[in-house]
Amino acid sequence: MTAVPSQRFINAGKNEQWLARRRWARAGWLYLFMIVMSFFFLGPFLMGLLSSLKDNPNEYPPRLIIPQITGQYISKAYSLGVQGGSDGWNGGLKPGRSVAFDVTVASPKDAPQTAPSIILFPYQPTSLVALARQAQAKDYTQLKTEPTGQIGDERSYHVTVTYPLLTRHTGDVISAKLGVPGSDLTAILPGGQTVDVTLDTPEAQAKQYDLNETQLVELVRSGEASNAKYYLRGPVFERTPLEVDVQRGQRIVSSTLPPSDKQNFDRSFAYRNITPGVLGYTFNNYRRAFTETTDPRTGSSLFLRWVLNTFLYAFLRVTAAIVFCSLAGYALARLSFPGKNLIFLLGVLFVQMVPSQVNLVSNYVLLKQLGLLNLWGLWFNGLVAAGGVFLMKQFFEGMPRELEESASIDGAGPFTTFWRVMLPQAGPALIALSITQFQGAWNDFFWPLVLLRNQINFVLTVGLSNFRSAYGGQGDYGLILAGAVLSAIPVIIVFVIFQRYFVDTGADSAVKG
Amino acid sequence: MFKKGQSATAYLFLAPFLITTLVFFFYAFGRAIYYSFTDFNLFNTPHLIGLKPYVDVLGDSLFRRALANTLVFAVIVTTLQTILSLLMAVALNNKIKGMGFFRSAWYMPSITSSVVITLIFLWLFQRRGVANYVITQLQMYQPYILTVMGVLIVVQIVQVLFERSRQMPAGWFDPALAAVSALIAVAVTVVLAFMGILQARDVPPFDFQYFADVWLSIGGVQVLSIPLLVIIIQNTFTTIPTLMLFFLAGLQNIPGTLYEAADIDGATPFEKLMNVTVPMLRPVTFYVITVGLIGTMQMFDQVAVIGAAAPQSTLITLAYYVYINTFKAGTAPVNMAAAGAIILALIILVMVFIQRRFFPSEASV
Repeated sequence: MTAVPSQRFINAGKNEQWLARRRWARAGWLYLFMIVMSFFFLGPFLMGLLSSLKDNPNEYPPRLIIPQITGQYISKAYSLGVQGGSDGWNGGLKPGRSVAFDVTVASPKDAPQTAPSIILFPYQPTSLVALARQAQAKDYTQLKTEPTGQIGDERSYHVTVTYPLLTRHTGDVISAKLGVPGSDLTAILPGGQTVDVTLDTPEAQAKQYDLNETQLVELVRSGEASNAKYYLRGPVFERTPLEVDVQRGQRIVSSTLPPSDKQNFDRSFAYRNITPGVLGYTFNNYRRAFTETTDPRTGSSLFLRWVLNTFLYAFLRVTAAIVFCSLAGYALARLSFPGKNLIFLLGVLFVQMVPSQVNLVSNYVLLKQLGLLNLWGLWFNGLVAAGGVFLMKQFFEGMPRELEESASIDGAGPFTTFWRVMLPQAGPALIALSITQFQGAWNDFFWPLVLLRNQINFVLTVGLSNFRSAYGGQGDYGLILAGAVLSAIPVIIVFVIFQRYFVDTGADSAVKG
Repeated sequence: MFKKGQSATAYLFLAPFLITTLVFFFYAFGRAIYYSFTDFNLFNTPHLIGLKPYVDVLGDSLFRRALANTLVFAVIVTTLQTILSLLMAVALNNKIKGMGFFRSAWYMPSITSSVVITLIFLWLFQRRGVANYVITQLQMYQPYILTVMGVLIVVQIVQVLFERSRQMPAGWFDPALAAVSALIAVAVTVVLAFMGILQARDVPPFDFQYFADVWLSIGGVQVLSIPLLVIIIQNTFTTIPTLMLFFLAGLQNIPGTLYEAADIDGATPFEKLMNVTVPMLRPVTFYVITVGLIGTMQMFDQVAVIGAAAPQSTLITLAYYVYINTFKAGTAPVNMAAAGAIILALIILVMVFIQRRFFPSEASV
């Protein structure tokens, strides 16, 4: 820079206001930039979160205001849930109940004036694992459509779905799950007791061979407790899918809930569930992540299992790191012994530079021979993280020596000094270590993918990548996004609580290191 | 201090660390080297066959593709993430209210797993996905955008010339004038749109298929595939926040007097960045580049998650090459996988060595 700026500077000095204005404007632009960048960094997550609530996350153009987060429709979903399953949150359709649904169709003059055809359709989830076919609401219910009036060219129809009972007996109503099919229908009661189910009406008998294992049902118990008989009241449906087909030129103006998707050139409208309840409506994909990934042998949810596995793995990793990394870090920082530098260079620094793929074959073969292709093998494989040892070494090197000196004057040995004097001082470093290890374990993908060969043993990252291959091909991103959001929640919670440590640790070691 | 028996105690403290490292790292490393000279296929007894696996690997076109993809990916991502995270850190280093919020918000991409982010990006970059929708919208409203920008530039030039004629030290990017220019530009555009002079263009939906076998070529050589480009964007997006914090910590250690001196010399913000900030951050930059190279050379997660959703050659990296060859159905060419892994390790070690040898700095990993 030459004389020009200093000349300018003198001029500006005369005008303090002129400079103040620039400072304000500069702050304004800065905030604008920060906000734009926040959208950039958070946008994909927020968009994913919003779309995970949609019936069809692939809708085009993507909407930002969706019925699933609109108060009006949430309250309708609640009341439909109450009508169908006496539960406003979980919804469903239970025997003996009926549900009312309204549809308004506009038929312009040049279009046919006929009523739409309204039917129930089957819903069979595609799943990671083969599921027993579940009973469908359409086979058990009666559907009645009646016109309720006309305003202009818009006609309204009142649809009633009625689910008659399959038994004439009355008594206590019990929820149960059907057992292994044999010559007779059996059910497993909530207490774990298996009982025979009696089908007392021709309608019920007609369904005997349509009902499969793990189907949720309602039973009626009658008689004394010792020789009680259980009558099938009917299967319980998680959802009631309704389809409305209109003629060419007609369109649906409004309905109790908006249609989930349109097909056949906007002539066929599907309502995936008219008895959703709030969870089934707004959080449908989240519920599906748990309920549509059940293991056919045990009937338990694989996704839930993965969540628990991930928590267990993260817990094990953190525990091992706290104990072993601090021990090793302390030895490297404060004790003197032959080979110290070599251990640090090779065991801590070199190890971090070599890609894990080098150890892939050997560790896989070794753990397979030991029969440890599971969470425990995964844990042993990364038991003491070199990065954690490095972190703890740095920390202990930064602590004052006086503490140990006074301890040694008191006659304490190295272990006592470490355990009683040094470790209690290491709180912040241990928290930082725990957080990085928790995050590392939670997000770990390569080793779990290599070592966990059974779906039961998966952690979330591997399970989710399986979701991709199972559902991505069909474009069922609702489930994938919901799974992704669910699996991100724990780390986000940890982050929000321990923000300070996230934002400090790594950076410090970089600069000091 | 403790002298007697200290070695024994130290080794006892180190035992869990040493044992697991020896078994799962050094023994494994040794075995990988051994396998890379044998005919091992997971099921047979390995026999030494010399350099053949290395010859096979280097002759494998998929390996050469993986090598090229990995190098292209590592160089582009490391460059992008280093520059962008430095700029982000400079922005965050301003002492204004609310920085804590922005720092946390920007850190989001770094805390979630690469699997989650890859799945979200797969969804964003579908053929009829959000990314293509945004591009369609930009094309539609292109007349508005161009008008705003054009008017903004013209008004800014006029204003700056006017201020300079009043002997005021207005730079071309003067923030106060730019704010006025931006308001005028938006107002003009709104008026024009209201009068019907400006209209959104009618464009067909932008339908680009990102995960297809499409390549950017230089001189007929396929350099960078579009799926890999998406992963480059995704990976840069995820790593910027972490690296940004390294730079931020470095920035906070730069004495403020340096900037005051620069201010007295009348340095512009850009000159301050290039002449004060960048030189002072050399150690951190060195660290960031090292970490970046080691990380990007090992890129695996994204490729494995996308899997069959994109043609294999467009995304394959060395790490993934090792993985698929180890777990190939039937007799897996594990010896080739091991040779590939050793080559990958050598490349990384040579990179780190070159950096240390020729770009010495006071910072170490």
